[in-house]
Amino acid sequence: MRFVSPKLRARLTPSYAQKLSLLATVPLILAVAAIAILVAHQSRALAEREIQLLERQLLEAKKDELRNYVTQARNGFYFIYGSAAPDDQEAKERVKQILAAMIYGDEGFFFVYDYDGTNLVSPRQTHMINRNWTGLTDSMGTPVVDEFIRIARRGAGYHTHLWPKPSTGEEAEMITYVTSFPSWQWAVGTGVFIDDVVETVAASRAEVQARVQRTFLAIGAITLAALILVFASGMMLNFRERRLADAKLKALAQRVIDAHEEERGRVARELHDGISQILVGVRYALDTARRRLSKGEADRATASLDAGIDNLGTAITEVRRISRDLRPGVLDDLGLGPALKTLSDEFAARTGIVVKFSTVPFRNRLDQDAKIALYRIAQEALTNVERHSGASEVEVDLRGHTSGVTLRIRDNGCGLPGQSARGSAGLGLRNMLERVEQLDGTLLIMPLTGANRGTLIEATLPLSHLLPPDRPAPPPKAAE
Amino acid sequence: MTDMPALTRVLIVDDHPMVAEGIQSILESYDDVEVVGTLCDGQAAVDRCRSDMPDVILMDLNMPGLGGLSATEMILEQAPDTRILILSMHDSPEYISTALSHGALGYILKDVRTDEIKTAIDTVMAGDRYLCPGARGSLEPKQDEDREALTGREQTILLELAQGKSNKDVALALNISVRTVETHRKNIKRKLNISSTAGLTRYALEHGVLQGTGVKL
Repeated sequence: MRFVSPKLRARLTPSYAQKLSLLATVPLILAVAAIAILVAHQSRALAEREIQLLERQLLEAKKDELRNYVTQARNGFYFIYGSAAPDDQEAKERVKQILAAMIYGDEGFFFVYDYDGTNLVSPRQTHMINRNWTGLTDSMGTPVVDEFIRIARRGAGYHTHLWPKPSTGEEAEMITYVTSFPSWQWAVGTGVFIDDVVETVAASRAEVQARVQRTFLAIGAITLAALILVFASGMMLNFRERRLADAKLKALAQRVIDAHEEERGRVARELHDGISQILVGVRYALDTARRRLSKGEADRATASLDAGIDNLGTAITEVRRISRDLRPGVLDDLGLGPALKTLSDEFAARTGIVVKFSTVPFRNRLDQDAKIALYRIAQEALTNVERHSGASEVEVDLRGHTSGVTLRIRDNGCGLPGQSARGSAGLGLRNMLERVEQLDGTLLIMPLTGANRGTLIEATLPLSHLLPPDRPAPPPKAAE
Repeated sequence: MTDMPALTRVLIVDDHPMVAEGIQSILESYDDVEVVGTLCDGQAAVDRCRSDMPDVILMDLNMPGLGGLSATEMILEQAPDTRILILSMHDSPEYISTALSHGALGYILKDVRTDEIKTAIDTVMAGDRYLCPGARGSLEPKQDEDREALTGREQTILLELAQGKSNKDVALALNISVRTVETHRKNIKRKLNISSTAGLTRYALEHGVLQGTGVKL
């Protein structure tokens, strides 16, 4: 675990965009899967019901057909049976002949068993005639002849069993309708093979299975299309966002560069137009003094030297001003409190706006970054106050507390400029925010309403920017 | 030389050699001034003053290592009578008031006319405060405008005390006398308007000053 490289971990940890698309796709996939399973289940159940219905209808039709055959056959020789005595062998022979002749279709025939199980008529399978078939079962173990006789004893009925096809000798499923000639103790019947029904049902089942599979495929395809759509649009959105962010970053970088260049230009101009010119003046004065000294005009040389010294003083003052504009030395030497005090005093003197500055009696306890950030924020805030707020009074307060350090600037002006008039103020606020965020701090910009209307800007930096004590605690032995 | 009655012994502390030498050559043109040395940082000045105490120290503010303000405080802990003149490029009133609060007797800008440096030395030798012209006006009225700031040394001592150390421990740790610690302690209590040591600790903690010391209340 410890050896997972940060790079790998970064790859394993999903990005925000990845999380978002996961959030979109996982429920989609789950929902679609649930729907697919439900649809499959329901369509299968429905189809099964239909198939069973079909099967029943087909079988009913077969049964009706059988009953018709048997009824008709019976009608055909009923006059013989009806008028014959139970032991009228001649009548029995005639009926047997009629039944043996009544073969129909490819496989259809009538059979007769007496109640003892002896076959009397079997026109298509003549080897069975006159033999006793009690106990005959089909290959699945279903009793056949015994059942015929049982049904006949009760009257009439159907029996489903396997029977070798007369044409091929292969066993197939058959429904038999059995009726009785009770006085002769005969079971008479005929059967139809229902393998075609079984085949039809199997075909229907296969058809249903295929349909369900097709539905599954269709759902899968639709899901895939939806997923691709989601990903594609997500990626497009991501791409667009990134491009926008890039553009913003570029613009910001450009502004920073512009500001930087402008500042450099200003300093260069001040050095060239101010300092250089003054120093050139000093050089002329010194040259003049030397020439006058070499001519022995000591008094006039002194005047030139004085002029040069004065000019040098001006140059020093000028350098001091430029240097202070770039970065106030008070900030570095004495700390943020005195720097803000100086800033406040100068601001008040320049603008006529009353500045009330308050701080704690501690000095220079902030690290360099925090000092500069808070100083620039105060500078920016005061600039905004001067330019936009129309305030007559500003309170600047700096204090440390248990969770860090807070700079609070509150004015009694007309609030922040509206969205339309953003411009320099907007950029200023943004700069403040960036400075604070870079140091893990928080910035609060709040318009105040009511009697105390105005604007409150509160920048707080965490304790980590407070310097630890200069002198580390000495080892315990020294403290005893 | 020692037989001359009113010879003022001056030590120059400045990390810019050109400035130090310049001042030295200016001062050497006066008969009643002896430059006893030029040093280039605050710590060297503190060490030097342990053995050989000059009358006046011309002290630069910005120096690498120990700065002029801290050095001023530490030298005055050893020899409270030393007259220290801060010599600086900065003309902001904050510097001047801070220098005075650290015990400097005078504050003078480096770009004044050179004879003014001599005037400043003479003034502080006479026991008076010397401030560069232009700074005086902005300085005087602001004395008790708000709470007086602690000096660097006072902050250090407050931190030590807030961590629960006794005067003796602090004196040992900072290599100063217990008396000096007591004086600082009195000044701190006066400036913060707090009477007890527990109060000092609480105050330091509440203002985030004890960050990193591990002290909790």
